[in-house]
This record gives sequence, structure tokens and C-alpha cells, in this order.
Amino acid sequence: MIIGSQKPIEEIWEMVKDFRKVLVFGCNTCVAVCHAGGEKEAETIASLIRMRAQQEGKEMEVNHLGVMRHCEPEYFDPVMDEVKKYDLVLSTACGVGVNFLSDRTGNIPVYPGINTSFYGAVEAPGNFVELCAGCGNCILHMTGGICPIARCSKTLMNGPCGGTNNGKCEVSKDIDCAWFLIVERMKQLGTLEKLSEVIPPRNWSTSRDGGPRRVSLEHIRAYEEQEAQKAATAGGKK
Amino acid sequence: MAQEKIEGAPMPYRPYGAEIKETRPYSPCRAACPAHTDVQAYVGLIAQGRYHEAFEVITAPNPIASVCSMICHHPCEQSCRRCTIDEPLAVRHLKRFAIEKSLDYRRARRRLVQKTKGKSVGIIGSGPSGLTAARDLADFGYSVSIYERHPVLGGMLASAIPPYRLPREMLKEDIDDVIAKGIEVKTNCEIGKDVKIDELAKQHDAVLIAIGLSLSRSLPIPGVDGPGVLLAIPFLEDVAFGRKPCVGKKVLVIGGGNVAMDVARTARRLGVKDVSMVCLESAEEMPAWKWEVDEALEESIKINHRWGPKAVRREGDKVKGLEVVKVKAVFDASGRFNPSFDNDQTSLIEADTIIITIGQMSDVSFLKDSAVSLDERGRVKWDPATQMSSAKGVFVSGEVVTGPGSAIAAVANGHRAALAIHLYCQGEAIEGKLPAQEKEKIEQMPPEVVEKIAKEPRLEIKHLAPEVRCDSMVHFEIGYDEEEALKEAGRCRGCGGGAVVDQKKCMACLTCMRICPYGAPVVTSVSEIRPEYCQACGLCAPECPAEAISMVSYDVREIRRTLPQTVGRIEPNRQEPVIAAFMCTHHVGVLGFDLPKNVRTIPVHCTSRIDVLDLLKAIEAGADAVAVVRCGDGTCKYRDVARRVDARVKRGQELLKMLGFDPGRIEILSAASGNGGNPYAAVCANFSERIKQMGLRGTK
Repeated sequence: MIIGSQKPIEEIWEMVKDFRKVLVFGCNTCVAVCHAGGEKEAETIASLIRMRAQQEGKEMEVNHLGVMRHCEPEYFDPVMDEVKKYDLVLSTACGVGVNFLSDRTGNIPVYPGINTSFYGAVEAPGNFVELCAGCGNCILHMTGGICPIARCSKTLMNGPCGGTNNGKCEVSKDIDCAWFLIVERMKQLGTLEKLSEVIPPRNWSTSRDGGPRRVSLEHIRAYEEQEAQKAATAGGKK
Repeated sequence: MAQEKIEGAPMPYRPYGAEIKETRPYSPCRAACPAHTDVQAYVGLIAQGRYHEAFEVITAPNPIASVCSMICHHPCEQSCRRCTIDEPLAVRHLKRFAIEKSLDYRRARRRLVQKTKGKSVGIIGSGPSGLTAARDLADFGYSVSIYERHPVLGGMLASAIPPYRLPREMLKEDIDDVIAKGIEVKTNCEIGKDVKIDELAKQHDAVLIAIGLSLSRSLPIPGVDGPGVLLAIPFLEDVAFGRKPCVGKKVLVIGGGNVAMDVARTARRLGVKDVSMVCLESAEEMPAWKWEVDEALEESIKINHRWGPKAVRREGDKVKGLEVVKVKAVFDASGRFNPSFDNDQTSLIEADTIIITIGQMSDVSFLKDSAVSLDERGRVKWDPATQMSSAKGVFVSGEVVTGPGSAIAAVANGHRAALAIHLYCQGEAIEGKLPAQEKEKIEQMPPEVVEKIAKEPRLEIKHLAPEVRCDSMVHFEIGYDEEEALKEAGRCRGCGGGAVVDQKKCMACLTCMRICPYGAPVVTSVSEIRPEYCQACGLCAPECPAEAISMVSYDVREIRRTLPQTVGRIEPNRQEPVIAAFMCTHHVGVLGFDLPKNVRTIPVHCTSRIDVLDLLKAIEAGADAVAVVRCGDGTCKYRDVARRVDARVKRGQELLKMLGFDPGRIEILSAASGNGGNPYAAVCANFSERIKQMGLRGTK
């Protein structure tokens, strides 16, 4: 899931201070799980902004709201009338949610209340780790289920660098060396010899290098377009 | 039941969460109460010192709550889930405490109810069932008249229950509550003699027969007729109305039920030193409640078990004793009451007075030649689905039709009858509309939960010593003081008031499952918190990132909205800091202590329920500082609370720091309770001093 973390209140204050009516809009899926931007955190941020405004002697109306997801319109459409009553929406969804909502609020700006960090897992309550970079071309079957793109500090594709040190990365002793992990895991799986296979250079165009990406499922889209067509021409309408 | 929504009826007080509660299985205590009194709700309110609200919850389904606080056989206690841990909660004593604390409040809230329906109902009998129906029907807006053959209202409660069990001033408060609604009372009015039932049916749009069981059964044995042999009800009536019954020096009571206990214990209080009882049953089989038997034994009453009465032996006119025959078995093979005797084994129990207490029946002689039919055994014919007799518009309720039972069961039946009468008067069909008596209830606690709960013995109330209490009819139980009541109320596990998940908000994040110390949540596509596991500690609700979890009872949302009012006005020229103090009501005993005025108390069921947000909101409301006041180490009745609350306070402090405040403005205060004095006032005063040093917000 997508992991985020709250922005410092000062940064938020700089964003919101010139608006009179602010809605802190929580997203109750990924960023709620990581306690960054769910409804509860949205309410907390709203309270902090109100207190900050009080300190500055500013008249501001700050409220909060939450929906299940900001990345699918069906979830926020029912509350859009309410959302549009504000001068600013501070979305505590991930960047996806902020972008997506912002396209649909007309004159009302949507600003980010959190920093979107990475795709991660819940290692333990309150502990979230990055495990995937969303590169668009998965090779985990070749690396013992450990992603060198996301988990090697240098995204190396051909084994560890000289900075590996007793299984740790030179960047920080808190970071495991991904290639050390890969080798150990593949030993355990009995597939270490796979690493000696020569693979062609990687095509990075599936990742960010190919520009913004889109996944389009033709079979679903074709059906939806047909349905839209039918609706448009129903009852003799042209 | 009065608690359920009935068209046109005024809504009784409903505590926070009542709407959700109705849709969920009842706590076992509530399910066991025939009137479905929300025990968990009122005990929790008592624990928080909200006595008047507790009173409202208690009386909403029960117009004779004072009476029940004295005499109820408390099925709630027998079904209490604490029974599997240690001992049941002392519900009846807590009820008495809350009611006694609300005396002025209840008197002040008595109101006349507008008679909006333009129809009238006559009620014959003013016992538990009649009084209940009278209250409900008055609340609906009917004109209600009560006809009572005795000079006072209350039925058996006034005329038979001995005063040592039920002080009459308690009964009077209950009756006054009902009568204040504008009910016409006709005492000393015997139906059949002073007015005919058919006339009554003409005068009113509906009539309710709620006459109870006012006649004692006698025994068809030789020697029974004559002086020295009394029947229970006339004996108890004599005592109740201050007429001294004629008893000798050696009294024998025949019977093993609760009325027999009343009779024997009353005889002791009339100055008779030698009182014994004889019953068919063994000690285990006796129908009387165990506590009644124990108390009788304390009062030196002897019980002869497993003997059946054969003949009253007399010398001349005077009773010499009772000849008894040994009982072989009380129940037959199919478990029915069908005693068999060993005629070879007989004995004589000496006595100069014998009181027969083997059961009661209704006096239905006034129904002869009326439209109300009786069955072949002389009982009123009725339809339990409509509460109606064979005569249209004439209803029946209580023990006259249900047979002997408890006062609270008669209350429950009175509610049904009132609803039936209302439907009838409105021209609606009754069948299928009267609520079901059986309610789904929360299962017993699984053993893995039981072992996680600390044992905490029940706080027994004190009784007058047997040698003292047998000297008079004075009520012999000494109720709780405030400290005792708060402590006992704190033992409640809050069954039925626990956590619930709003499934529309839950995104199955597992937080609740990871946090719960009792393993209550199960997360599949959404979280489900199993009520039989949930201990209502409230730890999960503030941790839920989607705010999907709330507590059925005493959720912080109840106080969050009113936090600014609780914190109150912040004087710009104040000398003392305003401290918002969230205080755990268990152990801390927030009400027992006098706290400095600058400390604004926010009682919470447990500090586990406080969210980071609540700490911030108190600061937002203008408080100079926030204190989380909790019990001393190791005294919390829940698990894992302290470290979770520590973490939340730390987070609150970090957020305050981000705003440029001194993080020390939020602090956890703790002191050992129960050491006398006022340790919480001291820690609060100390904290105030530290805040003063930091400076008061917005002042120079």
C-alpha cells in the first residue's frame, strides 16, 4: 500500500494561512493504515491549524471530513457539495488522491497535507518499509523475491557494490544490503545459480523514464464505452 | 417495553449509545431482567458519579424501582458475567444507592401529563403490574383511574411484604412518581362490592384487571380449622397495617417458598423466639432464595426439611403441634411437583401457632356473572397474545394470569398490557405487536478472557446484627456509602457497552486486532468486535485511524463536543491556570474529592478512551494545560492501558511542541487512591504550580 507521513505543522500553516475556510479532507485507505491521513489524523490536523490560527489571531474556519478513498470518484462524489463550500481543501490522501481530487474541484485548490513516501508494508504496528518501486517490469522471480530496484540504495542490477558491509548498506547501518539479502535468500531457496545467467540490459521505459504511465484494459473500456453510447442514444436521443 | 419505540408515547431518557444498543445482543444482566432494565448503562453512570442519569435509566422501564432496590430477586446478578470470574456485581445495592442519591431530583421532576387521547382506562389493583400500566397509559395521554380495595396503593407491596424488607417510604416515592402524572386514585374501593365490573367497563374505554394473588391457599388436613392456625396473607396484612396478629410462643410455618420466609421472619420480629418451618423440600430443593434462607437461619429460625403436613394436633381448642410424614420424593420421574410420602415415618412438630404458606390464588369472585369468563379451574380466561380477557376491552395482567412470580416480572407484564390497551383504544390490531420477552444476549466470557481479568471481590453490604434486627420491623440492610458504591460500580465489566465498528468506515487495517488485550476483534473484510470477548476497556477506539470504532457506552464523542463548555470561560486576568483534567472514574473517585476550582474535571470511563485529539481539543478550548489523571500503578481494571495512554500523551506533547508550546502542558498525573486524604487534589495543585511557572496562555 501507499505509505505517507504528516507534514510539519509549520509547512502546513504556510500553505493554508491565507485561506478563510479550510477543509482537512482525510482518506481512509492506505494513508489511514499508516496513521498519516485517515479521518482521525485529518481531525487532528484541523485542530492544530485552528490553534495555529488562534496564535496568529487569524479568523479561520477549519473543519474535517473523511471518505474511504480519494482515488476513485464514487467515494468522494457524495460529499462534493460540502467540499465545495471551502476556499481550500487540504487533502491528507497520498499524492494520487490530491492530484485526482484537484482535477475535480473547479476553482478550489487542493493542497497536500502529507508527504507520500513509498509503496510499503506494515512490518510491525507503526513500522512501515519500502519494498517496491513500481518500475513496471517485475523481476522478483529472478532475485529471490527481494527487489534490488526498491531495496538497493543504488538500484543496482548486477550485485552488491563495494559499500556492502556485513550485510548492511554503506548509506546507513539501519539499511540492509539488498544484494546480501538476495544472495542469502537464493541460497536458502537453492536457486543461487540463477544469478549466473546473463540477462539483457533492462528496459527502463516501463518505469518513470517512459513518461507518465497509464494502464488501460481494453476489454473493460470497450464495454464501458458501449454502455455510455447506449445511454446516450436511449429513447431516440442522438 | 417502555424503552422501545411506541407511536405517540413520550420517549424516556436514553443514555448515550442506546440506539446502537437496541440493535445488538443485550448484556446478560439486561436480558435476564424481565423489564430489560439497562443495568450496564446505569451501573456505568453510577461509576462516573452521574447518579441522576442512572436514576433515569433505572426508572425508564421500571416504575417501582425503589421497591426493586429493596426486594428484587435480581436475576441480573445471577446472570452477571462476573460470576465466571469471581462474584456477581451487587446490582440491587447499586440501584438502591443511585435511587437514594436522587431523592430530591425525583421529587422535583414529577410532572402532570396532558391527557391528550380523550379516552379513559380503569385499572383494578395497584400492585407492580397495575402501577406500571397506569404509568404507561398516563404517559400515552389517557385518563387513568386506579381502583384499590386497600386504603393505600401498592397491592401486595403495601399489604403483604413485611416492612423489614421494604420500608414503606420507599414504596411511597415510587407511587408518588406515578400518581403525579395525574392519575385518579380510588382506594377502599372493592370491585364487586362498591362497584360492579360491568359498570366499570361502561365507564371506561378499557379496563385492566391486575389484582394479583391475594388469597392464601389452605391445607385439606384434619384439625386445620380452628384457632391457632393462620393463613399467610391475612397474617402479613395484619402486620403491614399495624394490627397485631394473634400468635403464641412457638410458631410453625408450613412452606418453603419466599412468602414462607417472609412469614417466619416476620413472626420472629413480633417477639416470637421459637420460630420453625417445615417444608417438603430438602435445603437444595427449596424454592426460597438461598440468601433468604441464610438470613432466616441467622435469625435462629429452624427449618425441618422433607416433611409433609398430615394433621394439626390439638388439645381441646389449642394447637399442640403438626403431625408430619416423611417425604420420599418431591418431584416425580418426569420432574413434576408430585410429592410421595413414607407413611411409616411420622413425627410431631410442637407448636402453638401454625401459619400456612403454601401458595396463593386470585380472588375472582367479583367476576361471577360478568362478561369476563373463567376457566374450569376458576381462573380468568385470557389471550397472552393480546392480554385481553374474554370480554372485549377488558384486559388482564400480572400474577392473576401469569401465576406467582416476581414483582419485576409483573412490571414487565404491565407494560405489555398497557401497550395492548393503547393499541385497542386506537382501533389497531394487538396481535403480533407486543414485544417478545426473550432477547438475544451476549454469551458468557470465553475462558481465555476470564483468566486475563483480575479478581476483585464483591463489596457486600452490611446487615443489622440478627439479635438487633429481630427486635423490630426496621429495614435490616445498610446501603452503600458513596465510596463503596463507586468501588462496586467499578467492578462492572461493561458487557454490552463495548466497542462497535462502523463497517462503512472500516478499511480492515488490523489496528484494533493488534491492540486489543482480550482478542475481541476479528478482521476479515472488515473488523468485527466480538461482544463476548470485549471488556469495554475502550483502548481500540482512539487508535482506529478511520474513526470507525466507537464505544456503545461512554464514548469520548459524548464529551468531545462539549469540551469547550467543560473547559469553560477563560478569564484574561486569571491568576491560576485553567487545567482540563481527564479523570479516570475508577479508583480515582473523581467525585469523592474536592479539587481546586481551576481544575476543570472531565470524567472518563477509563483513560484508555482519551484520544490525542481530546488532549489537543482541550488546549484548543483555551486550557492552559491538560492533565490525564489516572489510578496508581497496577490498579487499572483493564490491561495494557498505561503504556498506550503514555504513548498518546507523548504524541500530544510532540504536536504541542510543533505549535511552540511547552510540551509539559500535557501531563499524566497519578496518585495512589484509597489512602484517605485527597491525593488527587495534591497532584493537581502541584501541576497547577508548574504551569504557573510556564506562564498562563494569553496573559502577560
